[in-house]
Formats: sequence, structure tokens, C-alpha cells
Amino acid sequence: MHGYLAGLKLEARLIRAQPDSLIPLVTAPLFTIIFLAIVRESGRYDLQPDALMAPVLIALWWVALQHAGQIITHDRWQALLESIVAAPTSLASLLFGRVTTVMCLGLVSFLEVWAIGAVFFDVSLRFEHPLELVLILVCTAFATAGASLAFAALFVMTRNAYTFTNSAGFPLYLLSGVFVPVAVLPGWIHPVSSAIFMSWSADLLRASVRPAPIDQFWGRLGMVVLLGVISFVIGRFVLIYVLRRMRMTGELATA
Amino acid sequence: MEAVEVEEVTRVFEPRRRGSTRVVALDSVSLTIPTGEIHGLLGPNGAGKTTLVKILSTVLLPTSGRARVLGHDVVDETQAVRPLIGIVFGGERGLYWRLTGRQNLEYWGALYKLSSRQTKARARELLERVGLADKADQRVEEYSRGMKQRLHLARGLMGDGRVLFLDEPTTGMDPLAAREFRTLIGELRGEGRTILLATHDMAEAEAVCDRVTLIDRGKIIATESPRTLGHLLTRFQRIDVEGAPEAVLEEIRTMDGVTNVAAVDGAGVRIEVDAEGVTQLVLERLVAAGVTSVRTGLPSLEEVYVQLIGERGMEL
Amino acid sequence: MSAIATTATIMRYAFRAGLADYRSMYTWKSWLAGWFVRVLAQVSFFALIGERISSDERATFYLLVGNALAVAAVTGVFSLNATSSERWAGTLPLLVASPSSPVIVFGSRGSYAALDGTVSAVSALFVAGPLFGMDLPWPRVLLVVPLTALVAYSCYCFGTFLAGVVFRFRNINSFVVLTSYMTIMAVCGVNVPLTYYPEALEWISRFMPLTNGLLAIRGVFEGDAASAILGDAALEAAVAIGWMTAALLSFNQFASRGRRDGSLDYGA
Repeated sequence: MHGYLAGLKLEARLIRAQPDSLIPLVTAPLFTIIFLAIVRESGRYDLQPDALMAPVLIALWWVALQHAGQIITHDRWQALLESIVAAPTSLASLLFGRVTTVMCLGLVSFLEVWAIGAVFFDVSLRFEHPLELVLILVCTAFATAGASLAFAALFVMTRNAYTFTNSAGFPLYLLSGVFVPVAVLPGWIHPVSSAIFMSWSADLLRASVRPAPIDQFWGRLGMVVLLGVISFVIGRFVLIYVLRRMRMTGELATA
Repeated sequence: MEAVEVEEVTRVFEPRRRGSTRVVALDSVSLTIPTGEIHGLLGPNGAGKTTLVKILSTVLLPTSGRARVLGHDVVDETQAVRPLIGIVFGGERGLYWRLTGRQNLEYWGALYKLSSRQTKARARELLERVGLADKADQRVEEYSRGMKQRLHLARGLMGDGRVLFLDEPTTGMDPLAAREFRTLIGELRGEGRTILLATHDMAEAEAVCDRVTLIDRGKIIATESPRTLGHLLTRFQRIDVEGAPEAVLEEIRTMDGVTNVAAVDGAGVRIEVDAEGVTQLVLERLVAAGVTSVRTGLPSLEEVYVQLIGERGMEL
Repeated sequence: MSAIATTATIMRYAFRAGLADYRSMYTWKSWLAGWFVRVLAQVSFFALIGERISSDERATFYLLVGNALAVAAVTGVFSLNATSSERWAGTLPLLVASPSSPVIVFGSRGSYAALDGTVSAVSALFVAGPLFGMDLPWPRVLLVVPLTALVAYSCYCFGTFLAGVVFRFRNINSFVVLTSYMTIMAVCGVNVPLTYYPEALEWISRFMPLTNGLLAIRGVFEGDAASAILGDAALEAAVAIGWMTAALLSFNQFASRGRRDGSLDYGA
């Protein structure tokens, strides 16, 4: 718990001190403008809720890949990792705390997007299923945190994680159906997409801002949580393995 | 119970890339540090000092051998060791640059499981102690090298470790700050802490430590008291002289305690001595002969080691 | 060497330096598997939106073409990192002190991006187009290649100007890169026609890179008259020259002022 809270607080301070961290809060509105323009120009006002939900999911992916996923790598470059490992607090709980703060940042994009839609485009999101919406957002953030942990552990092992993080965005947006539902994509993509928690979140999120009852809500939410837990477990094991290996090879610090 | 016990620790770094070689950073090193001692680990760059410190602070695994800190094995009992130690690695990095000095310390306090109130109080106290109280709320990226070093020190003390590992802690400090640091070390010893101080600065080791272990190329050469080191320093001095008449040099060559008088390419003559007090005699003779271009110097660590090994060889 | 020959030599070396930097990031394999996959994904992402919003395939092709060219904007703007890298690498005072004009190096350092942008955008168009059933009218479609090169160069000029902005501040690179190219995607006719926006914004977008060139390229696909296409291309060229001129003037002013007030330093 100590480590979790320490990580939470540290990340909040770092975000305040580092304007770069707030990039998703700038790109989310821009994506909103782009998507809303597309659907409105074509007369598809029924797709406006989708146009609003997509930037939120994109923001979450961004914070997972570019921010949370880089935490351990940055600490290592900054020669902080050794001192952290030598401290009596678990790196995993520290990381989880930091990632939680980052996820909250990602979720702020939801408020932004809602505000922009309402103020500039006169699009009011209908909260037909408010409780479900909150649950979806929380579970999605949780699952994204799990993915971030897995990314963080994996990236510190690979030499060129930078190229991956720069390139992984749009493929992930596509595969997780952040705007266009996975059901519409070619059949061969479906198995891949189903393994990505975000595809379930995207469908649920779109459904939650529409009046119709949400089909199989708990089952689908359960998939988000399950895939999130799996990411956590993978992340945890990879982290343990990576740290042990780095202690063996002396690579906790960069040269 | 000893504070630190190192038994036949070896650490080998296997080549990671084609073309790089296998490095034996530590070769069957054994060392014992009793509780409350300030122990110097003295050696040139690449000697293995940092490697040993990393092993003892649980961030590096030894290839073979065992090490214990306050009775706990550093490989198998990391959870027991970590709360008991403090580490100062030093250098330009190792701090969150975008945070203030105080915020950095508060983070480390949290990592060492201090309560919020304890963290704030200790951070305040340590910042005062290392002379950073008025810069506490400035971002670390604005600190000078010496200030960062002092913050590293404060950070290492946040956890209130019983055993402290200091790796080149005065690098980048100006002489005044370095002297204040030595006072601080004395205070820490007074608090009953055990300190392992890794350094390549002989004078520093001599000034602060109860005992000093000389290490080079992964091997321990000797463990000596600073007094002995001090004697070594003054014993093996050299005097570089220019413009001395040959007759005077001949006379000096025959003096007791003078081991060598040899020309150095384009830079005059070097006179080497191996006994205390001889330097003074040589200097007096040179000055009396009207020689004014004189410079004395200390031997390099390597030369001292060589002398030391040679001496030991003779002493058996 | 004559001034022109010297300038050309400097530009060539600066181009190579930038390319070398880029090569340290990407090999052919990682360019294809990493960058190009991302490019295709981006184009496909928007093309699929097109399929969703309308059964009329023109909506899909509109988004496809727009976003393929937007890739050139991404690389062009991204080049500001290479261009501005001189600032904190500590080489800036050395450049200024050298006998050549630092302005030329500044203007050429990121120029590999124009090449990368052209190759990326053209490849995206010619791969994604047929995948989505788009007709590529030969041989007219070959005009797209030089037009794309023009757009890529224009975006690179804009990126160079941005480098001059970023020069003056610390740590705002990522922020500027993302905001700039997303703004281009929003207002330069990439996803919706210029007429969608208020007239004032349409007018402003004409001064942005990509806008006019994209119109020319769309004209090629729609079989517009050559004069219209050339007209838009000429406007794009003018925009490119304008941004590069602004960039070089800005950099020159920065270097001069730096010499006067000592703000040129050797490192961060």
C-alpha cells in the first residue's frame, strides 16, 4: 500500500512538473473535432456518440504506450532504477500507483470530450446508462493499467521500444475498434481483436450512450476485467523476470 | 554480529556484444566490517568498488560467493536487507530532475515506508544538514553538480539505514563541501552507523576511515589503517627537479632512503625516496645548492600497491 | 568553391546527417514492419470510417486519399526534432562559429523527412487504394508522385519553421509535433472539404502546408483540368517557400541575437 501511494503521489507531482504529460488532453479535443466533422459533414448525426467515445479510448491507449509504458525505461535511463530496486518497497506496487495516476489523466479526456461536444458542437451525450458507463470507464482504465504494466516490463527489456510505441498507436486503434466496431472489420481480424480488452470496452462504451438496453452487459464487462487481469499477471511475471535478469547481468543501470 | 561479511565473492560480466570481453570485476573478494566502523574501499576506476557496493546493496547478484549485511544474505534475504541500508550512488543522474529537492526526498522517504509526517520532518532535517535548506524547493535540474551530490547524500540518509554504502560521494564537491561532508561522516559514526565508503581519493580515505581496503582489478590488495596509508604517502614521495648540478645529484643518490635518481625525458630529474623524513633532507640539499625548480609529488595508487606488494613479499 | 556549390555541398551533408540519424532509428525491416504498418493502419482506420458513414465509396476514397497525404504531414512536422536537435546537442555555437551559414544547415538538417514523407504517402496510397477498391487511373495517377513530393517538402518546410519555435523553449517538442499535425489533419481538407469550415478558417488553411497540394491530388483522381491542378500545385509551392523563408529568417534572427546576448550555449 505504501508503495502504491508513493507511486500515486510521485506521478501526480511529475505530471504537474512536466507539461508533456498533458499531451493526451490536447489531442483528445483535436480528435473529437476531426471525428465529429467527419460524421456531421456526411449527415450521420447518429454516429456522433461514437465520434465522442473514440478520442477517450485513443487517449487511454496513448497514456498506456507513451506514458505509463515508459516509466521503468525512463527511470533506468535516469539511473534511478537501481536505487528504487534497493529500497524496501516493491517496484510493482510503485509502478501500479504511478500507472493509476496516469489512467486518471486519461479519463479526464472523457470530461473534455463531453464538454467540447456540448459547448462547440451542440452534441449532448445522453447518459442512458449512467452506472454502466461509470463501470465501463473504471474497468477500462483498470485494464489499461494492466496493459501499461505489461508494456512497461516489456519495453525495458527491448532496445528499440521507441519505434514500437510510435508505430503501435493506429494499428491498436484499428484492432480495438475505437471508432469502427470490430464487427465491421474483416473476419480474420476478429480473433485478434477479441483478445484486446479495448475492443470490448469500445463496444460497451458506444452502447452505454445509446438508449437501447446494453446486450450482455456483465458478460462483456467481465471480459474487459478478465483481459485486464491477464495483462496484470503477464506484466507482473515479466517484471519479476526482467528485474531478476537485470540483477544478474548488471543492467539495472545503463552503461 | 558483523555489519558486513563478504566471503569469496566473485562477479563476472559476460560479453554482451560481439567484440567485448569477459570482465572479472571481483575475484574471490573477502572482507569483514564490524558494526560502527567507517571502512574505506580504495581503488582506481574500474577496480571493482562500485561492483561490490552494488552487490552489498542487493542490486547486483554475485556470480559466486556469499555476502551478508547485518546477518542477512544479500541474495536470498533482500527483503530483510533493504530496510537496513542506505545507498549513495551519486552522479548527475539518479534524481527526478523536474521535481524539487524536497519532493525527491519525500518520495524516497515514502519508499522507505516512513509516514507522511516522518517523511516531511526528516526531509527538512536532512536538507538542513547537507546545506540545501534554502534550495529545497528549487527543481533539481537547476542544481549545480555539488548540490546534486549533497542531495544524493540526503537521499541516502532518508531511510535511516544502519549500514550506509557511499560510492564516490564527494565527486563534484568543492573542497569546502567535501570537508563538511567528512564532518557529517563523523557524526554518522557517532550515531552508531556502519559506513562503507568507496573512493579513489587516498587523502579522503585517510581522513575519514577507521580502516581502508585497497582494491585493484577486482582483487583485494590489503586492508590497512589510514595511519599506514599515511606513512605510505609520505614515504614514497618523489621530487622532480630541474637545473640541479650533477654533483649534487650524485650526492643525493648516495643518501639513505633515496631509491632512485633518474632523468625524465625533457623534464629534468626525478628523485624517489622510500623512508619518512628523507624528502625534507633532499629538499634542504637542493635548496642549499641554489636549485629553485623543485616539485614534490605523491605516488600513484598503483605505485603504492606495487610497493606494498613488494614489501609484503619481502616481509612474508 | 562558388557560393552555390558550397551551399549545395552543405545541404547534401546536412541531408546525409539527418538521414544517418533516421537510419539509427529504423532499418529497412523496422521501417516496413514498424512505420509503414502504422501508416497503413492510419489510412485504413479512416478509410473504414468512410465505409461506415456512407455506402458511397467516394466517402471512403476521400478519407483514404486525405489521410495518405496526411502521413507526409506527420513526417514533415516530425522533422522538427532533427532540426532542433542542434540546439541542445551543444553544436549550435559550433555551427554559428563555422565559416558557413548555419542557416543552410538548419534548413537542410531534417530534409530527409521530405523524402520519407513522399515514399510513405505514395506507398500508402498505392497499397491501401487498391485494398479498398479504389481505382488508380493510369497513367494520370503518376502525377500524384511529384505532387506528393511537393506536399512532403512543403510540410517539411513548415516543420523547419516549427523547429525555430521549439528552439527557443525547452521540452515542448512532442507537444508541438502532435498539436501541429493534428491541426493540419483537422483543418486542411484531409477529412472534410474546406467548405465545411467557416470561410475565415478556409482562408487560413490555404496558407498551411498540404491544403493546396491535396486539392491538386484530389483533382488528379477526379479528372480535373490541368490548369486547376497546376494552379493548386503552384499555391502549394508558394506556401512551401513562404514557410521556409520564415524559418530561415527566424533562425537567422535567433543566431544573431544569441551572438549578441550570449544565449547560445553548448548544451542543456
